[in-house]
Amino acid sequence: MVYLASLAVAAALLVHQVTERWEMSLADGLTIQVPPPSEEDAGAVYSARVDQLVRLLGEWPGVGQARHLGPAEVSALLEPWLGEAGVSQDLPVPALIAVELVPGAAFDLAALTAEMRGVAPGVLVDDHQKWLGDLLVLGQSIKIGALVVVLLIIASAVTAVVFLTRTGLAIHQKVISLLHVIGAHDSYIARQFQIHALRLGLAGGLFGLCLAAATILSAGAWLRSTENEVLPDLALSLGSWSVLLLLPPATALVAMVTARITVLRSLARMP
Amino acid sequence: MVRFEEVSLRYDAGPEILSRVSFALDPGSFHFVTGPSGAGKSSLLRLLFLGLQPSDGRFSLFGRDVAGLNRDERALVRRRIGVVFQDFRLLDHLTVVENVALPLRVTGQKGQKIHEHVTELLSWVGLAEQLNAHPPTLSGGQQQRVAIARAVIARPSLLLADEPTGNVDDRLAVRLLYLFEELNKLGTTVLIATHNESLVARFSHPVLRLKDGSMTLERAAYATSSSTAGTAA
Ligand SMILES: Nc1ncnc2c1ncn2[C@@H]1O[C@H](COP(=O)(O)OP(=O)(O)O)[C@@H](O)[C@H]1O
Ligand SMILES: [Mg+2]
Repeated sequence: MVYLASLAVAAALLVHQVTERWEMSLADGLTIQVPPPSEEDAGAVYSARVDQLVRLLGEWPGVGQARHLGPAEVSALLEPWLGEAGVSQDLPVPALIAVELVPGAAFDLAALTAEMRGVAPGVLVDDHQKWLGDLLVLGQSIKIGALVVVLLIIASAVTAVVFLTRTGLAIHQKVISLLHVIGAHDSYIARQFQIHALRLGLAGGLFGLCLAAATILSAGAWLRSTENEVLPDLALSLGSWSVLLLLPPATALVAMVTARITVLRSLARMP
Repeated sequence: MVRFEEVSLRYDAGPEILSRVSFALDPGSFHFVTGPSGAGKSSLLRLLFLGLQPSDGRFSLFGRDVAGLNRDERALVRRRIGVVFQDFRLLDHLTVVENVALPLRVTGQKGQKIHEHVTELLSWVGLAEQLNAHPPTLSGGQQQRVAIARAVIARPSLLLADEPTGNVDDRLAVRLLYLFEELNKLGTTVLIATHNESLVARFSHPVLRLKDGSMTLERAAYATSSSTAGTAA
């Protein structure tokens, strides 16, 4: 149970981490496309125009950094589509300016766009928002789905722990009534079973967690070995691991409280 | 030690098992409770170790009205009572020593002291060789002696035994009763429930006879100590 719950929690935490990373890397940035030079104003004029834009952007309030991506970087970006051959110098490719915004600072996109059009007509501004938005919606729904699964699994894990603890205590009904008859106080009897349940819950929980950790780590290793670029690294952060570490003590606590309540309840039926 | 005043008992809505039963056991006395099967002997003992509450009447243990005791006080009263159950109620997952040590453990005692005390008692009942055995590996007679040892380990003021000779042959039955007499001489008040009339006939202790919910006292004159008992209402 802890095994399944751990996996589900791990999955949810992973989705959370990934979407957070997307958000962080994409939310505070813009890409500016400057259309390639037409026949007349080639060469020097064009690059002066791009430099002017970079300077304008650098001074714009709310902008952290603006960088003209060199031909090598652009080729690298286009390689997946255009192949190893790279981008021919003859092919008209727009100049790209990567802009990082100061997180949280006020920023007027409309005014900036107007200003840039004054320098270079036909400038395109991609603020990432649209596809980032789609991505985040996707991420959110995965997160919600994972959360529902986690809640379901945790609910059934709690039920299972409660049920197992109570079945265990039913078997020990004989012990409970004997201790009662020989003059043990209710609290003494409850304590014996509480401690036992706590230990069992902790042991079972740690075992489940170890299995889950092994599964998560080997799944991560396998994904890395396939060298895919699409799925982000599946390594859980330290924070996520510590959330997982909370599961065994939580299980133990549920078992302990169940044991206590069950024992006291069955004792209440004895005069 | 024990005083019943018009105590009645019925299980739920069933018939009355005991009807206005009155009797008293003096400290240091030795009594039998007899009667046919189903007469209510076990039920009477259950009332005495506070495993049941009477549906009517009142009774006192060690000079205190039982109805006035709270839960913790009842636990303390139980510690002064040793019970030998008809089915022994030994815990199979514990060794003989651990079973016998239980009444001391629940009082918070622990360690070496308990162990010595328990081992000594077990040798006295002839179980020195079985200290670390588990109950299921013992014979009926051996289990019986473990149950008796557990009942007396905490030096109870009152010893209750339910059919303690039910699972053993006559010779062993008589020997077990000698054992109870030994304990009685040490000051323990003893009450033994049995339907074995021939066994009762071999001893001279007074007899509380249960029949149709009523109790009569027999052989009060034979009482070895100053035991008295009122007849049933
Ligand atoms: N837990 C119980 N619930 C209902 N009836 C019971 C219970 N225990 C005993 N009885 C009934 O009470 C009567 C007396 O039983 P018991 O005290 O065991 O008699 P004895 O020990 O003399 O054989 C019997 O009729 C029995 O069926
Ligand atoms: Mg009986």
